Amino acid sequence: MTRIKLNKDQIQKIFLSTLGFIGLLYCYFTFFLGPLNRSRESMTAEIADMQKKTISSKDELKKTAKLELQAKEATGRYEALKRTTAEGAPIAWFPPKMRSFFAKYGIDKASARLESSTDFKQPEMADWIKDTWAIELPESEYGDLGKAIADLENTEPLLAIERLVIHAVPDQAQAQQVSLFTQTALYKK
Amino acid sequence: MALHLNLLHEEISEERMRKRDPLKLGIKALIGIGALLFIYYGWNAYRTIQISSQLSTARGEWQKVEPKVTAAQKRAAELHRIIDSTKVLDGLIDERFYWAPLLAIISHCVAPNIQLTSLDGGIVEVDHSISVTLEGIAAAREPRAAAEEFRQLLSEQLEKGYGDVKVNFKNLEDLDTLISLSGTPTASARFILNINFDPTPGEPGKKSERVEKTEPAKPAKPAKPAKASNDPDQA
Repeated sequence: MTRIKLNKDQIQKIFLSTLGFIGLLYCYFTFFLGPLNRSRESMTAEIADMQKKTISSKDELKKTAKLELQAKEATGRYEALKRTTAEGAPIAWFPPKMRSFFAKYGIDKASARLESSTDFKQPEMADWIKDTWAIELPESEYGDLGKAIADLENTEPLLAIERLVIHAVPDQAQAQQVSLFTQTALYKK
Repeated sequence: MALHLNLLHEEISEERMRKRDPLKLGIKALIGIGALLFIYYGWNAYRTIQISSQLSTARGEWQKVEPKVTAAQKRAAELHRIIDSTKVLDGLIDERFYWAPLLAIISHCVAPNIQLTSLDGGIVEVDHSISVTLEGIAAAREPRAAAEEFRQLLSEQLEKGYGDVKVNFKNLEDLDTLISLSGTPTASARFILNINFDPTPGEPGKKSERVEKTEPAKPAKPAKPAKASNDPDQA
């Protein structure tokens, strides 16, 4: 076996070639393959994220559609309850409403005044307001009053009578003076 | 054996030296490896382009879905709010106390010799029970007995529809003046009754505690839910 003898020039050239090779590898991995791989990895991760989001979104859409079906009754009820509140400030429409309501039962001169207006404590009732009204019926017959109260309780689901005071009118045996303290839940418009 | 003389040995050795030049060999090796690395890079770039196209497809799909999802999330939140609000409102409706049936019961208990002059009723905030104060005048030969009869009848009638009924005299006093009852002057007594009860129906057969008993208690009748109807004709 012949042994190759390298002279100084050859050794320098080999060293130079080795340096060139190392430089090539460094440049290749640092400036070419590395960024390309990183970009590919980030894109792969983004695809996975997008797919996950898309799948969960589709699930969410399905859930919302299901919820829509389940909430149909509640939505209908809610809309019906919202409609019990007329347009405008309650102080403007509630007293005339009560006056005409009791007038149907022959109870005239009914008046209503707003005692207090507060928000509900429950966070889900942020769109609603709790008003307390004092309804005065200066002259009413007991039977008519009973019918009127029954009708009021049946037709106004969001109105609750908190206190009822009936006094006999001294000179009129059939007449009573009535005060109703009611609480209403009204939709904020 | 013929003598073989190499007269060109210098040229041949130079030629050999040129061929074995490490720089040339190194450059060739670098070119070779560089070509391989370029092919590998090309393959990776191709995969990256494919992934990039997949990403743009996924993005497109997401862009299509995103507005729908945002709207759905908004709608779901709104539906949850509506459901919760409806629950609270239903609770308010269900927890209401209906006064008309109570007025009907009171009117049915009032005999011709009893006159009620005042009624003051309200909902006790602490326990949501009902408290009513009734003032009236009873006229009879024994006006106190008439008042007691009214109290007992009222208590019995209330027990049919409500729970934990308590009907007590706050005050019962004879009046000096005689009242004309069907043209006959009759003794009278003024009474104040305190009534307390739970708006939810009591257990059937369970009699509530009475503080002022003058007669033995009658057997209890089965309780009937008061809130079942709020018929205006009842009143």
